[in-house]
Order: sequence, then structure tokens, then C-alpha cells
Amino acid sequence: MSITAETAKAHANDPAVLCCRREAGTVISVSDLEDPAIFDDLVDSGLLNLDGALTIEQVVGATLKETRDSLQPLTADVLDGVKASSAPAAPAEEAPEEEVAAPVLPAGAPVAAAGGVLKIHIGEGKDIDLEIPVGAIGAAGAVAPGVAGAVAPVAAAAEAAVAGEEVVVRTLTRKHFNITEVKRGPETKIEGTTLYIREGIEKEAVDSQNLVVDLKVDIITPDKYHTYSETVMDVQPIATKEGDSEVGSGVTRVLDGVIMMVTGTDANGVQIGEFGSSEGYLDENIMWGRPGCPEKGEIFIKTQVTIKEGTNMERPGPLAAHAATDHITQEIREVMKKLDESLVVDSEEFKQVRRPGMKKVVIVKEIMGQGAMHDNLLLPVEPVGILGGKPNVDLGNVPVCVSPLELLDGCVHALTCIGPASKEMSRHYWREPLVLEALHDPEVDLAGVILVGSPQINSEKFYVSKRVGMTVEMLGADGAFVTTEGFGNNHIDFAAHHEEIGKRGIPVVGLSFCAVQGALVVGNEYMTAMVDNNKSEAGIENEVLGCNTLCHEDGIRALAMLKDAMLGEDIKKAEKAWNPNVKSTNLELISNVTGKPIELVENEQSLPMSQKRKEKYS
Amino acid sequence: MNYGDKIIKMEGVIVEVQDGAVAVDLKGRLGYLKVPMRMMITDYPLKVGQEVEWNMSFIEQKGPEVNEKYVSNLDIQKKRMDKNKEV
Repeated sequence: MSITAETAKAHANDPAVLCCRREAGTVISVSDLEDPAIFDDLVDSGLLNLDGALTIEQVVGATLKETRDSLQPLTADVLDGVKASSAPAAPAEEAPEEEVAAPVLPAGAPVAAAGGVLKIHIGEGKDIDLEIPVGAIGAAGAVAPGVAGAVAPVAAAAEAAVAGEEVVVRTLTRKHFNITEVKRGPETKIEGTTLYIREGIEKEAVDSQNLVVDLKVDIITPDKYHTYSETVMDVQPIATKEGDSEVGSGVTRVLDGVIMMVTGTDANGVQIGEFGSSEGYLDENIMWGRPGCPEKGEIFIKTQVTIKEGTNMERPGPLAAHAATDHITQEIREVMKKLDESLVVDSEEFKQVRRPGMKKVVIVKEIMGQGAMHDNLLLPVEPVGILGGKPNVDLGNVPVCVSPLELLDGCVHALTCIGPASKEMSRHYWREPLVLEALHDPEVDLAGVILVGSPQINSEKFYVSKRVGMTVEMLGADGAFVTTEGFGNNHIDFAAHHEEIGKRGIPVVGLSFCAVQGALVVGNEYMTAMVDNNKSEAGIENEVLGCNTLCHEDGIRALAMLKDAMLGEDIKKAEKAWNPNVKSTNLELISNVTGKPIELVENEQSLPMSQKRKEKYS
Repeated sequence: MNYGDKIIKMEGVIVEVQDGAVAVDLKGRLGYLKVPMRMMITDYPLKVGQEVEWNMSFIEQKGPEVNEKYVSNLDIQKKRMDKNKEV
């Protein structure tokens, strides 16, 4: 398929290859040339040999001396009137260039190919064999993980000088209470560092929900990590508001050393959220320390909820499992409200700071809204509570603006979708790394967080993403992040959000799990800056809870990338297949500039393998 | 994969629609597939009887080994289902 003058201009220094058979005497114009975007795959498969090929700018206007077939490179021996190249010498690779640029701060980031299209035109012929690696085609739409280099401290410093003072909009204080032991007892109470949960509370929890037929509470201490568990639906902090304060401001009390864990099946024994579920031994299935996951050493109050058969995939089912669990959490919250101040072991203050004069950024978090467990309760009365929360599905999945502190204070009760490795659980929002990074970065002005659901039907997806675009426009943002969890059709609206924001001239950086298995379904010209959340060795959904979710290191990369994009730095084209090295190179570039080492989180390889598996796989 | 590039277009009929999942019978009695909602790309509300299409390759065995984790998970599920039947 021939290319347009615009494409030719963009690819002026790329090899010139005929798109169709051309007779001798043809004066070469751009419409005779093939789109260089597809060459990598063709070269890989041996269909195309670019040796000696001239560049597009050299051949346009030259006359073909002999008849050539399609997909033949144009070389000097078949053309008359070849122009001189404007490019310096051979196609100088970018690597050396980067070194030269080093003192001025290298920047530029790889990334997402915008939905490459493989077009093959066969004018006439027979016995044509086309062999193109399928994986490579898919990968054209995929994202290379990755990011760019550096932040520009010089420019930022200059800006800081003219910028106004920091404005503290509101504050949130988290008071931590330490728990070292969880026991059952005649009443729910906290004595010192021991939490007692009332015996018999299970029955009330079951009775509180029509669809719940059974509920078991297990207290999992570190010595019991190696026990079987049903699929982990959610991990939640145990927190409550103090006095009259509302989620997102005032004082929050939180228990350290203990978390709530929701697990469950339906009465037929089918896992709730049965696809890619993480049932099995807890210690083999949890990626410790991910923002959404438990920390090693914490005690889990694990509910095993059994809901009515066949409701595991219907909306009320997973919600009932969460609500029944929250019945127990709520009783603990009531007790926490009365705790004596002397038990506070630590107090941290979060400030929502606006930095007038700095680049204004917003974080768009795409949450799931396809239905059933693909739902979230927004803005409950208590942190990660149920009461008062509105399901984003019922809100029509339209954008809901929240302050960074509301997000960090548990304004999202996630029913958590499927794909254990990439889903964002309630605790994830409580410790959302990108929000924390952006909030604490003196070089950007974080305006807020926009939560937008991902509906099922395409027309609804575009409906909500148009609202996202309009919201970001009204905020007057200089840059935006778009994050999503999991993979699948949510990547369609993920791409649409990029387009809606990007077409308004606002630089946008995307964060998602992509790698191999989550390769993007679609792409567009605005999806150039992309950060891959993958941590797994093979780039797949590895069924390990939280493994491929957004971590601190991804937040740093995204922030550096957005700063580059806002300063107008180019982002390097993505490699055509997933290459985890892009990430490490980018992190190295960032830490070279900031002078701070970036600690990387571990992946599933750090988890124990059962003896049997060890024998088989080592 | 040795034959991962041998892509075949498959067609099927939606036989079950849940809030979070869709089940599809492959035409020609070639099997049954149940996928989460988010793995479906849809322009219209989903209904039983609608026809769907997608590409697939053959399924290849990775090797002779058995992953005990999955075997034990299946055992546990089977035991629980048997227990539920008794009740």
C-alpha cells in the first residue's frame, strides 16, 4: 500500500521500497513507496532485504531504469537522478547521539507503537508465499515498556524561582495503632496490641446478606502462610475516620500489622471471579509488599465467604461477599474509634499541596466497570467501607473527580476484577504509588485524580472517554497520566482516553500491564508514552496476586516521562516486541540524573515453590 | 509454541450471558469457551444467540510435567463439591 506525502516526510531517512510493481521509466513518487513502519517484520521473516536501499528522500523524483516488483528496495543501480541525502552519513543509530547529549541530559523514551497496520498489496502474481511472524504483528500494537530519561532540573529550577508558594489545600492525618496478635473472644475489642474478634460474628455477617450462605473467619498469622486459600478477592486496610472527619481529610485511624482479606466461592465451589483466580497456598500466590498486597509478617483476617450457587458472576454476588466481610470490619472500626490516644504508635500527615506556576498534572485512573466483580464502590463513609459508597457501574462509569487525599484515604472500595496479577485491590488505592510520587514531587502541581469506569460496550467507552477529555481540558492541565488495571477490552477506552486528552495538545503518559499477554488491543497516535507495569519474568498474567500492578518504580518512570513530554522531548519509538530491557535502561537514566538509586521490587521468582514443583522444574 | 502462527478463524454462538462473563459454544461442536466480560469486544448489549468470531490457534502441550499446584486445587474443589452434594 502506498504512503502519503506526510508519511514520506516523517520517514524521509528510512529505506525506500516499492509498494507495487513499477515499470521501467517510472518517475518515483511517494505513492510508489511502501510504509517503512512494516519493514521490521518483513526483514525478520526474510521477505525483505534492505541492503543497499536508498532513503525515501533520495529516491523521490528519480527515474526507474528497469522494471521492479513490489517489496523490492530501491538501490542506486536501478535509478537515475538520485538526490543526495540530507542525513549525516549512514543512518546513525541513536545510541551514540545520546551519549553526546549526555551532559545536556539525555531524554527520550521508547514506546508504544500506535496500532501499526500490516498492509500487503499484491498486484498480480502466483505462488506467493508470505510468512510473517504473527507475534510480531500483534506486538506492533503492543507497548514497549518504557520510559524516558530525564527530568530537566535546570528548567525546573528556573521555573521554581518564578513559581508561587506552595498552597496546602487540606491535610490528612493517619494515626497508626499497632496490632501484634489477633484472637477470638466474647467481644470485639482491642487491648494493648491485641485485637479480639467476637465469636459468633460470622452468623450475623451471613444474615446481613441474602446471597451469603456461609462465612468463615480465619486468622492467618505468618506461621500459617502456607495454608490453602480460596481466591483472594480483596485486601483491605482496617481504618476508620475519627470524629466528624470525612474520607480525604481530618484524621484516619488505621491498624498496622493486620489486614482484611476477602476470599470466597459460590455454593457449587466455583471461585468468585473464577477466571485466573489465585486459589492455592497463600505464600505461593501473593506478591508480598505490592501496594495492594499484604506485607510479609502481617496478620490476615481472612473471610471465606460462600455465596448462593451461580451468583459468582452476577453483580450482587461479589458485592454480597464484600458486604458480609465489611460487617466484621465495621465492628472493628467502631472499637477503633474509642481507642485511647496513648496507643498511637505513629502519626503521618499527608498534605494536599498545590504548586501554582508548576506544570499542572492530573491522574486519570481507569477502574473497571463492566459489571459483577468489575465494579468499585466510590466514596464510602468509612475508608474502604461499604455504607455510602456508590458503585461506579450505577454512576454510568462517568468520570468522578477526587482529591489525591480522598484516594489515599480509601475512597475506592474495589470489588476487584479478575487477573490476580494485575488487579488493583482496595489497599492499592490506599498506597497508590503514582499519586504519592506526584503529590510529593516539587516540580509538578498535582491538580487531582479522575476516576473513570470502563464500561463493556464500545459506544459507552467512547462516551465516558469524551467526558474525560473534556474534564482534563477544563482543568487546564499541562499533562496527564492515564492508568488502567488488568487487560482486555479496557484497553479500548484506555486508548480512547489517550486520544481525547492528546488531541487537545496535552501530553499524556499511560500506565498499564502490557508485556506479552496484555499487549494493547488498539493504539493511536497519542499513545507514544507508555509505562508497562509488568514485573513477571515471562510478561504474562502469572496468577500471583498483585505481581504486575503499578509500583513505586513505575510511578517514578511515568513522572519522569511526563516531565519530558511536557518539555517537548521526543519519545523514542517502541521496539516491535516486548523488551524488558527498555525499562531497566530508563530507570538507569533516571537515577543517573536524580542521583538516587531506584530500588526494584521482586517478582514471582522470589516466592517459594512447593517441594513437588521444585523437583519437577529445577 | 511450534504451531502458534497457524491461526484459524473460529465462530461461535453466545449461550450464556452473566454480568461478569460470557459463555460461547464453538460452532461445529468444537468446544465451549467461557471468558470474562472484559475479554469481549462488543458494540451492542450481549444476548444469548448472538454470533461471535475470533482467531485461535491449536492448543499445544507445553510438556509432560504435571503442575501439582493445579492438581491439588482441583482436588480441593472436587472434594468441596462432593461435600455440598451430600448436604
